[in-house]
Amino acid sequence: MPHQLGVTIRAQVAAEQVAPLRDWLAKVASHGTADSLFAFAHMRGLHFAKLFVLEEPADSGGQPIPASLVLMTEVDAPLRSHLAELIDVAGDGIDQAFGYCTDYPGAGAHRRVRVAWLRRHLVRASAVYVNTVGRGLQQIRQEARLRDALEDYLDQGDWDGCTADDVRRELQAYVAGRADLAWAMKPPAPPSLRFRVREAAHEVGVPLLLAPLLPALPFVLLPWAVLLRVSELRERPVTQRPALEHLDELASYEDFVTQNPFAVVGFLRPGLLRLVTMRAVMLATDYGVRHVYNHADLAGIKTIHFARWVPLDGWRRMTFASNYDGAVEAYNDDFIDEVWWGLNATFGNAAAYPPTRWVFWGGASYEQQFKNTLRIQQVPVPVWYTAYPALSAVNIENNARIRAGLRGEMSPADTEQWLSLL
Amino acid sequence: MAVRLDLGDIQGLFARGYREHRYAQFTVFSIGEAPAGRGLLEWLLPHIATAAPFSGDVALQVAFTASGLRQLGLPDHVVTGFAAEFRQGMTNPNRSRFLGDTEESDPRGWAWGGPDGPSADGLLMLYATGPALLERWQAELRRQLGKAGVTGTTELPARELGDTEPFGFHDGISQPIIAGLPKAARAMRTVPAGEFILGYPNARGQLTGRPLMPASEDPRRLLLPDPTGSGAVDFGRNGTYLVFRQLEQDVEGFWQFMDAATRRPDGSQDSSDRAALAAKMVGRWPSGAPLVKAPDHDAPALADDNDFAYRDDARGLACPIGAHIRRANPRDSLAPGPAASLDASDRHRLLRRARSYGPAGGTGLYFICLAGDLARQFEFVQHTWLNSATFNGLYDDADPLTGSRHPVGATFTVPARPVRRRYRGLPQFVRTRGGAYFFLPGVSAVRYLAQLDT
Repeated sequence: MPHQLGVTIRAQVAAEQVAPLRDWLAKVASHGTADSLFAFAHMRGLHFAKLFVLEEPADSGGQPIPASLVLMTEVDAPLRSHLAELIDVAGDGIDQAFGYCTDYPGAGAHRRVRVAWLRRHLVRASAVYVNTVGRGLQQIRQEARLRDALEDYLDQGDWDGCTADDVRRELQAYVAGRADLAWAMKPPAPPSLRFRVREAAHEVGVPLLLAPLLPALPFVLLPWAVLLRVSELRERPVTQRPALEHLDELASYEDFVTQNPFAVVGFLRPGLLRLVTMRAVMLATDYGVRHVYNHADLAGIKTIHFARWVPLDGWRRMTFASNYDGAVEAYNDDFIDEVWWGLNATFGNAAAYPPTRWVFWGGASYEQQFKNTLRIQQVPVPVWYTAYPALSAVNIENNARIRAGLRGEMSPADTEQWLSLL
Repeated sequence: MAVRLDLGDIQGLFARGYREHRYAQFTVFSIGEAPAGRGLLEWLLPHIATAAPFSGDVALQVAFTASGLRQLGLPDHVVTGFAAEFRQGMTNPNRSRFLGDTEESDPRGWAWGGPDGPSADGLLMLYATGPALLERWQAELRRQLGKAGVTGTTELPARELGDTEPFGFHDGISQPIIAGLPKAARAMRTVPAGEFILGYPNARGQLTGRPLMPASEDPRRLLLPDPTGSGAVDFGRNGTYLVFRQLEQDVEGFWQFMDAATRRPDGSQDSSDRAALAAKMVGRWPSGAPLVKAPDHDAPALADDNDFAYRDDARGLACPIGAHIRRANPRDSLAPGPAASLDASDRHRLLRRARSYGPAGGTGLYFICLAGDLARQFEFVQHTWLNSATFNGLYDDADPLTGSRHPVGATFTVPARPVRRRYRGLPQFVRTRGGAYFFLPGVSAVRYLAQLDT
């Protein structure tokens, strides 16, 4: 199975093209369903896609930042074939969308030219969270079909008087006997050897590289903490509330299917201290999501399929984007209850965030300030695609466990537990 | 946290469901001419029952929607201080999708409160100890409304308060115990008053957002000061949001489904099977006995039992994961674990004040609840717990009792050994026929409204 990528493509939109682009996006807005214009459903290994506009900020606090169009996809590796498919399969939509950008070569240009253009406009993420690293689209779909087949089979049977073992044996025989499901008796293939070697090297290499710096840490940490605390004391509570029109626009693209898109963008607080802090936190985040939170759980949150942190405009701004289950209110509550520390460490460096205390505290714990600021910074995502609109991340993990339980020996208690997954 | 509640300023519905006042009628109205509407408030003021100890035979409460407050002349910059959900209203199209008010529950088909009918501006709630008393007071209300030139009224008479809701189940058993009210003294677990009334610390120890205004706009000093000491006056203090939804129940369809689903292959029927399936959907037996304590048959001795948890029934073998009461208040049954789940559940409590209605004009429930935070409490419970087909690991199971079946959610799964039982294609048993988000102001705020143009 391939590993997953969080691909970001961003291109500048001339000021006079912003309104027409917004109108066009509103017209092709997908409201939670795949649309034919982009043919996303026909792209290989594409889990999610979103397309949205970042408007020119009214007050950039320095060099103006022009408006831009952003395409984000979560897709199975490799990148090369994904970029090619964006032109070869989704080309109609991509040509029209990026046609609003200043230097897009246009639909008439050779496909190689357009693919190269996409590649040139790739933006590197600081960290990409994948719910379960290595679980490709094909596996997710196959395992969902497996679960459906097993549920239907259970519906048809009369299981009175059977033990859990009897039922499991019957299910195993049923799956083994169906040519279209026989793959389920084997474990899913792991990601490529190259990927695994790279990740293992990173997992070991980063601590090894940092180890020699440990003795210097107290001398760095202490002044840094004091400086940061001084900076925190200058922060002001968030008093702004989101405008109703903005809330309505966001809501018009939400809550059609099991998952929702999420994208926020905000300026970093000014100064080198915040920049360094943010970069350090992002390095830690990258390490954390690759080696610790890489299976069905982001520090206690089990409802996120993918998430990414992408620095923009030379680290002047930061985007956080995700695909999550359920409503934004529940998502925010999970943030506040489960990963407040991580949010505060990251977003605490963003200008419009409630004041933090000693990096990790405060911030998200101011519930209404936090919810208001996220909603204010949230960007409407008019075009959004999901490859599995009915499946929650918990469902997907459950399906994988159903498959895993078809193999091997099991105690009666484990068998009963496994059957309760169905 | 020791909080002194200003019970004499809070409307009584916060402290009591008026269970001794078995007769009730609700009147939704449009405010035509604002000054006349204020005349109505002048008349109402001495009759509003408060949360202070109360022994009257008749209780009257009053609440307003955002449009109603504007009609009465509350300035926009004050109305802006209310929650976005309240200002947008229950029938905002995105909200309708969110709440499951689509298809047969679409507001365009509502009996009242919908986009095409008269605007729902205000709500009068009348409770009385006897039917004649209720009728006499309702006649007086009509007279007063007429005198004030109020039009577009919808009268919503409640059924005499009994022990069961229309499907036949004992209802309203589990209520949050509010810190600062008398019952709290005996309770193991209480919920801060700020969860249900504005101007007091909520479950996060913070003050929920509320409409503040400069003291200069209240020259007669009718409103209470902002408790944070900002110098502003607090129009929201001692008030709270009131969710009112008329939910029509298809009682016949409900029991027909139970009959069909439990009929044996030979066509025979055992009435205990149909009651058992319905109980699995509710999570309690008709008497009210909770399934986790009485898994196999009804136990009327446990009728009002609310002292239970789900930790010994993690798989839902006694009470299904998808059962109504296990979703409306999951207690200790959510990830990551019991203690965190209890805390999380307490941040999504509703103070329920429902009354049944019918059979005249249909049969159902006036779902009424109070909440300090519409998004975190009512809307969260409605969307994320009741209507979500993937609630707590499920796949296609919206609430079996009240859930919407569009576009998904028509399955009900009953965990069992060795194999679960799955019911598919559940019809919709409940549909929304009307509703609005109201604000139930403190008495001082009503007094402020009554004098606004004088």
